[in-house]
Amino acid sequence: MNWPSCPRSAVVEPLSPQEPAQESAAERAPFLAVRLHPEAFAPLEGLARWQVQLAALPGGAPAAESQFIGRVRGCNASGEPLEALELEHYPGMTEARIVSLAEDAAKRHGAAAVLVWHRIGRVLPGEAIVLVAVAADRRGPAQRCGQELLEALKHEAPFWKREWSQGVGRWIMGNTPL
Amino acid sequence: MRLFAGLREAAGWGERLVGWDEADAEASRNHRPGAGEVTPRSLWRQLQLGAVDLPAGLRVAVNHPFASSDQPLQPGDELAFLPPISGG
Repeated sequence: MNWPSCPRSAVVEPLSPQEPAQESAAERAPFLAVRLHPEAFAPLEGLARWQVQLAALPGGAPAAESQFIGRVRGCNASGEPLEALELEHYPGMTEARIVSLAEDAAKRHGAAAVLVWHRIGRVLPGEAIVLVAVAADRRGPAQRCGQELLEALKHEAPFWKREWSQGVGRWIMGNTPL
Repeated sequence: MRLFAGLREAAGWGERLVGWDEADAEASRNHRPGAGEVTPRSLWRQLQLGAVDLPAGLRVAVNHPFASSDQPLQPGDELAFLPPISGG
């Protein structure tokens, strides 16, 4: 099957589902897919490709999956129309932190697979800024792992947002409420 | 050294090399505070990047992992000062 090509990414963590077949899902190293996108990405297409890869895991795709898509709001914290959000990152450190956070969260919850896609650069209102998906044996671990990882990304992965409104940019200190 | 986001713009630079003399390197290798030992905190003060001490919420990374602001640095280390994170 041919899937639409993805925009070029800043980093791709190779997917490596070749764990020994005799290990249980909980014992296997989590299957991680992390990517930073400098251009707009289509989250549903990304999920579809990821699900094909999950199906190729030993034992097939896990039974439960949680997914989160975050999009850029059309207004800033003051209610003014937002032109764009600019996302700065620390090349090298950001990718390593996401991989580490995803691996830790997956191990804590016994999740089998984690996908994290994150935008960098200039992001327009309505565009996806983050995609987090977790596959696990049951809905509880899948949802809890996804929630925990999303919060960790907001506070522990080096990204900085600047809101652009009426031609003026303003760095955001901190995160929006849960 | 690297600075990011608002910190980079306030300083007017994002990346620079900081020179070491042999005494600094020796003090850092031997962990001799007060004898020229170079730490993120001492560089913050030396380069007058803002308030005298590191502001609350500012974090430090050395060679990418987060680090203490009092960690002795070695020649060749990449030090970054990170403003409060706002990802996701």
